[in-house]
Amino acid sequence: MVKFYSSTDTLSYPFPAVTLAYFLRYPNPYSTHVVSTDTISRHYDPETQQLTTVRLHLKRSKLPSAVLRLVPRSLLGASASGDTQSYILEKSVVDIRNGRMDTESRNLEWTGVLSVVERQSFIRPFPEAEKDAQMWKGMENAARRHGFLAFGPDAKVQDTGESTDVHSSVTLHSHIGEKWRKKRAPEDGGEGEEEPPQKVGFFNRWGTASLQRSIEMIGLKRARRSQPNAKEGMKVVLERMREGGLVAVLEGMRKDREAILHGGHHHHAFKNSRSPNDDDD
Amino acid sequence: MSASLAPECNEVKERYDNCFLKWYSEKYLRGTATTDDCQGLFKQYETCLSKVLKEKGIDNMLKEAREDNRENDAEHLRPVRSLGVFAQDIHSLVQKR
Repeated sequence: MVKFYSSTDTLSYPFPAVTLAYFLRYPNPYSTHVVSTDTISRHYDPETQQLTTVRLHLKRSKLPSAVLRLVPRSLLGASASGDTQSYILEKSVVDIRNGRMDTESRNLEWTGVLSVVERQSFIRPFPEAEKDAQMWKGMENAARRHGFLAFGPDAKVQDTGESTDVHSSVTLHSHIGEKWRKKRAPEDGGEGEEEPPQKVGFFNRWGTASLQRSIEMIGLKRARRSQPNAKEGMKVVLERMREGGLVAVLEGMRKDREAILHGGHHHHAFKNSRSPNDDDD
Repeated sequence: MSASLAPECNEVKERYDNCFLKWYSEKYLRGTATTDDCQGLFKQYETCLSKVLKEKGIDNMLKEAREDNRENDAEHLRPVRSLGVFAQDIHSLVQKR
């Protein structure tokens, strides 16, 4: 069973700025749960001009109370209140020649309970020349249809190349209870759906499939809820870049980091937003 | 700049990050990069970080995550007969087997 969620969006910033903002997106006022970010490998291929980066993020999170009801805390390594930390592995490939950046983030731990794979592609719209040609053709036709030809060759389309398309998806997959079932199935001579109660513990109260479904649904809900925050975080970084370049981004990061270190939630942004992991069901 | 998982690596990480940002924005994004100018600094950062990754057992987690066929791996784990062993089984995904 797999849950899948996807969305498409446009950022009104040029592709190169978006890729830079991706690398600089933590810390931002919406990411106080991100404790650290490290680059663990980076490779530049001069032939293809592709840059491959692997980073490791440590995020603080609070397990949803719904999960805590389903799975014992001891199994999840969480504290009594559900506080936990998780490592996220992020891989990205920037292809500057083709105007494309593909990213993938996944949790490193508890993948048996729930594996969450988040993918984002940032794409530079049509190359300018091609787009202009298309636009021009379209306008000419429209103008002809409407009986006038008002557009001269100087007519410039605003914002061409100043936006970036974003495709996001989240794939959730729970394998909880599966290994046991697979192992037992041949001996039981069946699918192994009905497991002997004395051996299955809490799994039998649910049945593996419904437990997986429940966990995936909780994960899906959480992923949906965190999407707007992730988007806002990127936008904050991009706005800083537009206003004051790299210097402003770095200065903003310094302030955000201080705020995180002091546990401060003083930024006005928090008034209207919840921390992505601060959910009860 | 973002903090490192290992506070003792913050300084060398910052030096590397600064180098990377300069290279990325001034050369890579303009399509003029011929080499990665920051490899030397990255090696220093990596040396510092790898110690911590090993201490925390993260290096093993990374190795496993990089093998794309995680699911297949899971098939070969030892059989799980009770919840207690199941918990151990999950731990073995995190720590070295």
